[in-house]
Amino acid sequence: MEYVGEHLWAANLGRGLTALSFTMALLSTFAYYAKGQDWKKLGRFAFRVHAVSLFGLIGTLFFIMANHYFEFDYVWKHTSLDLPARYLFSAFWEGQEGSFLLWMFWNAVLGFILTYSAKSFEGPVVGVFAAVQAFLVSMVLGVYIGDMHIGYSPFILVRELQDNVGLPWTQFTDYLTRFPNFADGSGLNPLLQNYWMTIHPPTLFLGFASTLVPFSYAIAGLLRRDYKSWINSALIWSFFSVGILGVGILMGGAWAYEALSFGGFWAWDPVENTSLVPWLTMAAGAHLLLVQKNKGGVIPSALFMLILTFLLVLYSTFLTRSGVLGDSSVHAFVDLGLSGQLLIYLLFFSIGSLVLLLARYKGLPKKEKEDRMDSREFWMFIGALTLLISGLQITLSTSYPVFNKLFGPEGLMTLYDKDKVLSDPIDHYNAIQVPFAIVIVLLIGAGQFLSYRKTSTALFFKRQILTLAATTLSALLSAWSLKMWNPMYFLLLWASYYAIIGNLEFLIRWAKGNWNVAGSTVAHVGFGLIIAGSLVSNANKDVISKNKTFIHEEFPANENLLIHEGDTVQMGDYWVSWTGQEEEGYYLNYNLEFFKENEGKLEGSFNLKPRIQLNEKMGNVAEPSTKHFLSKDIYTHVTYADLRSELEKGDEEWKNQFDLELLQGESHFLYGKYKVQLDTLVVEAPSSDGELDYVVLGAGISVRTMQDSVYKIMPVYAVQGDKANHVDAEIEELGLKFRFERINYETNKPVISAAERTEEEEPFILIKAEVFPWINLLWLGSLMIAIGTFIAIVTRIRRS
Amino acid sequence: MKNSQIAIIIAIAILIGYSLVRLGNSSTYSSFEDAIALNGEKTTVIGFLDLEGSMDFNPKTVQFSFTAKDKKGNISKVIYNQPKPQDFERSEEITMTGYATDSAFIATEILMKCPSKYNEQNEVDSDKIYK
Repeated sequence: MEYVGEHLWAANLGRGLTALSFTMALLSTFAYYAKGQDWKKLGRFAFRVHAVSLFGLIGTLFFIMANHYFEFDYVWKHTSLDLPARYLFSAFWEGQEGSFLLWMFWNAVLGFILTYSAKSFEGPVVGVFAAVQAFLVSMVLGVYIGDMHIGYSPFILVRELQDNVGLPWTQFTDYLTRFPNFADGSGLNPLLQNYWMTIHPPTLFLGFASTLVPFSYAIAGLLRRDYKSWINSALIWSFFSVGILGVGILMGGAWAYEALSFGGFWAWDPVENTSLVPWLTMAAGAHLLLVQKNKGGVIPSALFMLILTFLLVLYSTFLTRSGVLGDSSVHAFVDLGLSGQLLIYLLFFSIGSLVLLLARYKGLPKKEKEDRMDSREFWMFIGALTLLISGLQITLSTSYPVFNKLFGPEGLMTLYDKDKVLSDPIDHYNAIQVPFAIVIVLLIGAGQFLSYRKTSTALFFKRQILTLAATTLSALLSAWSLKMWNPMYFLLLWASYYAIIGNLEFLIRWAKGNWNVAGSTVAHVGFGLIIAGSLVSNANKDVISKNKTFIHEEFPANENLLIHEGDTVQMGDYWVSWTGQEEEGYYLNYNLEFFKENEGKLEGSFNLKPRIQLNEKMGNVAEPSTKHFLSKDIYTHVTYADLRSELEKGDEEWKNQFDLELLQGESHFLYGKYKVQLDTLVVEAPSSDGELDYVVLGAGISVRTMQDSVYKIMPVYAVQGDKANHVDAEIEELGLKFRFERINYETNKPVISAAERTEEEEPFILIKAEVFPWINLLWLGSLMIAIGTFIAIVTRIRRS
Repeated sequence: MKNSQIAIIIAIAILIGYSLVRLGNSSTYSSFEDAIALNGEKTTVIGFLDLEGSMDFNPKTVQFSFTAKDKKGNISKVIYNQPKPQDFERSEEITMTGYATDSAFIATEILMKCPSKYNEQNEVDSDKIYK
């Protein structure tokens, strides 16, 4: 059957390139591991063809998305005609298929670079890349073998979806124009229509992809029993990975803070956790490589850490993409039914690499002499171990859903009869991770003052007298001004100041700005700032939008402030006024004006515009607005607003309609407030020629209020032929309306309906506002980590 | 014994100790019925909105109440002392963390899963085909 208007060439091109890319990745893997120069050349050629066809397939997908070919399921699901062109990238990696492609893209780019730079290690290193790529491309292959499918292609047409095959509408050759569903796609989730979504995923996935380089070097080293010549290359790549992955994770935090109303930059969500853990182990691995290069003797643990990092990236992929996290995370992907394939991928590399490590373990070079307790290498080893334990703790706690699947009531082997869950994840992680963080920042502070092999204790302390004094003084001052005397928090504050000041002092006073140490010291100062900034901004976070409703201290019920339009209410140190809202594209911006009190007068201070994104297809989303000061941020978002249009609110001028059936002289107590009595019934029924012309009935009603005032009214009911008419009677002062509805012919009683006027509700919104003190330290630290890593990498490349 | 070995042993001990402490400490997924039996202990119930029940949000007291049905079919009133989440009516599944009282389940945290956000199906209205 020939369908009209489909762009089948794109589907064929996309699928063809996918198949080519997959085959070439497989071929490259085998060729690289075969012996001989010709095979190596073939491997290289195949990998490059794989990369180029992958780029082609990505380009094809971009093309069909940019041109809105809605017959494609991926295009229909992730774009719409009104999607601004700048969000095309976000739409591209919104789905699982696109984000897999993004990951493969970076792997291909890095692999491509390695075909030039890896030199004698090209074979085994790029070979590992090719194998990983083969697994990844298989995720978007979309091949069916019987009922089993391998991968899920982004080039599948809507009519080819399993649910749709055979449905009547697919029999129409002109289905694209016949059914309005295909005129426009469902569009990009408004939460993701944000520039952070354009830069955060590529950075994060470059970070994930970069963990593969040190892993490949480790595998290559093990295969060749060479534990020396690749250390320097792997070292540079691991620090590249630490830098990029770190920046990627922090960008996610910045996004959550700036554009999502989660109320902070870190929520210990499983998806955040599983990207943080590989960073922790990569940082450990990179530092162990440093020890190995400068002193030696840590090959086994360095290899273990580099291998573990990549495996944790795979585990993270499995968790976030298999649907396991469904109940416990706000932003895990929807299950595409790839869990089996993901599990095979994870197990293949886990078993393969760990078996290889075990098999080679005996032959690994070990320490000749024990490290001294006053040597730098000993404490770097302790630091790496702390990072590992911290990472494993996060992994274990994040893996509850996995344990439930394995050992829960419906698991493979039931060990407990109810699924387990962390009841308060944020407190849980904070409580356990704070001590680890203290150890890490302490080591970062002391590290520069320690020497490899042996440190003179006297010199160690002499060199940092200033640091210790300055640290203690500034920590005490900060704690005093913030009233933060929780011992754990104070220790962490002290230790992070120690890391910041110690590294600064070392760089300026002892290293005299030497470029060789500048990179690491700047990055370490950055890390100290991140910890200090997170601690201070979180531990002293202050909800200033408190209202007076107080239920229980555990209930944050009083954290929202109700503001009527035009009102000015007090909020913390400010007075805030809601002056109305305006529509801007998809957004409804709420104008908040902040005032400061000065000698009894209010002075305008600043304006904020928290907004709600209106999206009929996917639901409305609140976006915060934040005022940044040097020393604090004021973060607001609209937590409730009545978004019904005037039409939806309806003509609710009258409410509580109530039918009264009264005979003359009878009365009724209405709404618990009024005594309503039917005093008289007036009838006018003129007739001509024995026929009734019309009937007019008037009900003489008296309404007595609690204050004893009496109102007399007469609603009228008129019937002519089969037409009925009502003349309602209103009591303006009381907001009451009466209508003579009809006569109930069964009881012969007149039916009078009463209604109350709806008081016009003044528009209001609820807002939540929080002050995050010193959160800028966090962003400054992030920047310094990026800059420091960059300097370190450049100086290392130059030296080698 | 080598220093590094001692360090590794300490690290492993921390991890095992931690796991044992955690095991006794975590809460479980429950039904509303189980939640009542827990006598006010914190737990998590997965359920969905019962559209036949009442739903009310009072912005002045910031109290949102609704009726939910858990996976076993138990129905309970749920009180959530936070503003009513956007598009609550469209949620497909609700994860409620909190505790049961005599009159209602008090949720301290609510996580909603909206079907529309991620996996809206491209459905063609088959009624239109024959017209």
